[in-house]
Amino acid sequence: MKLSLNSQSNLFRAVLSILAGFIIVGVLLKMSGYSPLQCYQALAEGATGIRSGKPINLSDRGFYIGSWQGNFSPYTFAQTLATITPLLFCGLAIALGLRAGLFNIGALGQMTLGAMTAAFVGAIGANGSLKPVAGSLPHWAHVPLTLLAGAVAGGLWGALAGYLKAKRGVHEVLSTIMLNYIAINLANYLAMHNLKDPNPSNMAAQTGLIAKSAWLTPIVAQSSLTVGLLLAVAAAVGVAFLLWRTALGYEIRAVGLGAEAARTAGIPVSKILIKTMAMSGALAGVAGALEVMGIHHRFVQGTAGDYGFDGIAVALLGGSHPFGIVLSASFFGALGNGANFMQIQTDVPKTIAVVVQAIIVLLVGLRFRRAESKKPLVLAEEGWKDG
Amino acid sequence: MGNGWLMALVTSTLFNATPLALAAMGGVLSERAGVVNIALEGFILLGAFVGFYFGLHSVFMGVLAVVVAGALFGLLHAFFTQKARMNPVVSGLGLNLLIAGATRYLALRLFPQGDHIAGLSPNLFLSLAAVLPFLLVFTLQQTKFGLRLRAVGENPESARMAGISPILPRYMAVMLSGICASIAGAYLSMADAHTFTSDMSAGKGYVALAAVIFGKWNPLGAAGGALFFGFFYALQTQLQINQYHLNWLGVEWTSPFLLDCLPYVMTLLALVSVIGRATPPAALSQEE
Repeated sequence: MKLSLNSQSNLFRAVLSILAGFIIVGVLLKMSGYSPLQCYQALAEGATGIRSGKPINLSDRGFYIGSWQGNFSPYTFAQTLATITPLLFCGLAIALGLRAGLFNIGALGQMTLGAMTAAFVGAIGANGSLKPVAGSLPHWAHVPLTLLAGAVAGGLWGALAGYLKAKRGVHEVLSTIMLNYIAINLANYLAMHNLKDPNPSNMAAQTGLIAKSAWLTPIVAQSSLTVGLLLAVAAAVGVAFLLWRTALGYEIRAVGLGAEAARTAGIPVSKILIKTMAMSGALAGVAGALEVMGIHHRFVQGTAGDYGFDGIAVALLGGSHPFGIVLSASFFGALGNGANFMQIQTDVPKTIAVVVQAIIVLLVGLRFRRAESKKPLVLAEEGWKDG
Repeated sequence: MGNGWLMALVTSTLFNATPLALAAMGGVLSERAGVVNIALEGFILLGAFVGFYFGLHSVFMGVLAVVVAGALFGLLHAFFTQKARMNPVVSGLGLNLLIAGATRYLALRLFPQGDHIAGLSPNLFLSLAAVLPFLLVFTLQQTKFGLRLRAVGENPESARMAGISPILPRYMAVMLSGICASIAGAYLSMADAHTFTSDMSAGKGYVALAAVIFGKWNPLGAAGGALFFGFFYALQTQLQINQYHLNWLGVEWTSPFLLDCLPYVMTLLALVSVIGRATPPAALSQEE
């Protein structure tokens, strides 16, 4: 299960896949009676926050939060950046797995448990209060502690799948899918019972508010954009460093290129698989913690959204390279937030973005198998060149 | 909790196992031919959607559409993995994503109110699910097609030497696999829920795949696996319907959230306990 991960890789082909995705979906939109151009205009406006002349629709809900700067809405652009954050984390999580030859489909569950644990640790000092309180820990300690809690929870959940793969031979696709359902239901159970929001008017499965000392303040007023984006970019640099500048990264890539050969070379394959899944899960867990700390300030049902699965598309389009993933996460973040805006403007269901995403995954998939089968030797040497 | 409860549990087990068994037969076909097929999940959703949508016009149209759509998407998976040499997991995930996104979009466009259909009798699907495993055993063991299918799954190189191209049996197997899984989906929308809701496959394709592994890639074993997992789906539903309460050690064990976990936990446990003692078709684990 080797993937060609040629990093200078044909950005051109990635762009072609994206274009093809938009064209195919454009045809679908046309067939269902929309104007593709208008839809894509709305999509672009929502993605960039730049208004092109007069609004398409009179109802500009969603666009007008915060202030305008000429034709630019900082709020809307900030929302795009905020969407990039979890995508980047999940994309990195999945790419790290792919580098070791693992398909971590479990980012959803890892992110969910990361979010739930962050909601628990973030509530230190806020116990039982109905209104947000300052909390008993200082901000500088509470924030990293909460992030760490999210990382540990996600990491353990990931490591479990790694263990099942390494020691029990359970394929990680199946185990992580099952662990996703289990994690979501466990988190919802906790949010409905033991950690339920004490507010008597609350009927939903959600926890109480976390203490203000664990909140991340928005960079642009009212938006969801926090320092989390910087953390995500730092994580990309960190994953790149890990993969190409450390012994562990070398071993991860060796296992990914061929577990048998790696074993022969004396690399402890089982350990590497478990460690990789733990780190992968930790990245997803941090994404969950950030959603809690920066946006909801509590665990709510569905906190993890679809980011776990979107991350697969992010990783594949980004060629499983951290820097490629920064680009592809930016693209999918723009697509996601643009689609939200498009739904408001044109009534096209935003789920159409998922179709674009799927087509891109399939087309990018076509690409890398061909590239690989043509020149396998180059692939094997690539790790050395990259460093 | 008298006999009625037990009867309900048994019946419910059979009907919960029905879609799992149908999809698992698809899994057996595809995997015995050496093609990993996690697209079962998407094919189920696809069958549920087209069965419902065309079933709104007539039941016959619905069934026809289910078979055609399943075959087409099966062929697509075969094309991606065989001709385009795409990683089967990537192809499967991509198809699942495509079908999930497209059906969600189309459902919102075509029937935003959520219509209902009369559909088909669940017994029809149950009978099919009961007969199909035996039919498949016969096909795999006794027919030329079955022999070739197993040959390309176990050792594509030797098959090639013997003059059997792996292409045709694999295309056939994956196409039939698509049909089986989409019939499983048709059961969900046409015979069980009588409506379509997005993501109604809810992981059943993956559980079916687990049933295949549980049944050691054998049709009857896979059907047994489907019954096993079906039992836990049934138990979960029955406990919820009966509003049975169990609070032990401060945990609300009968909370719907925890009961929902049950089939997935059991699937995981089953996989942990069976693997190592089950040998997959050789070409599956081959790093092509």
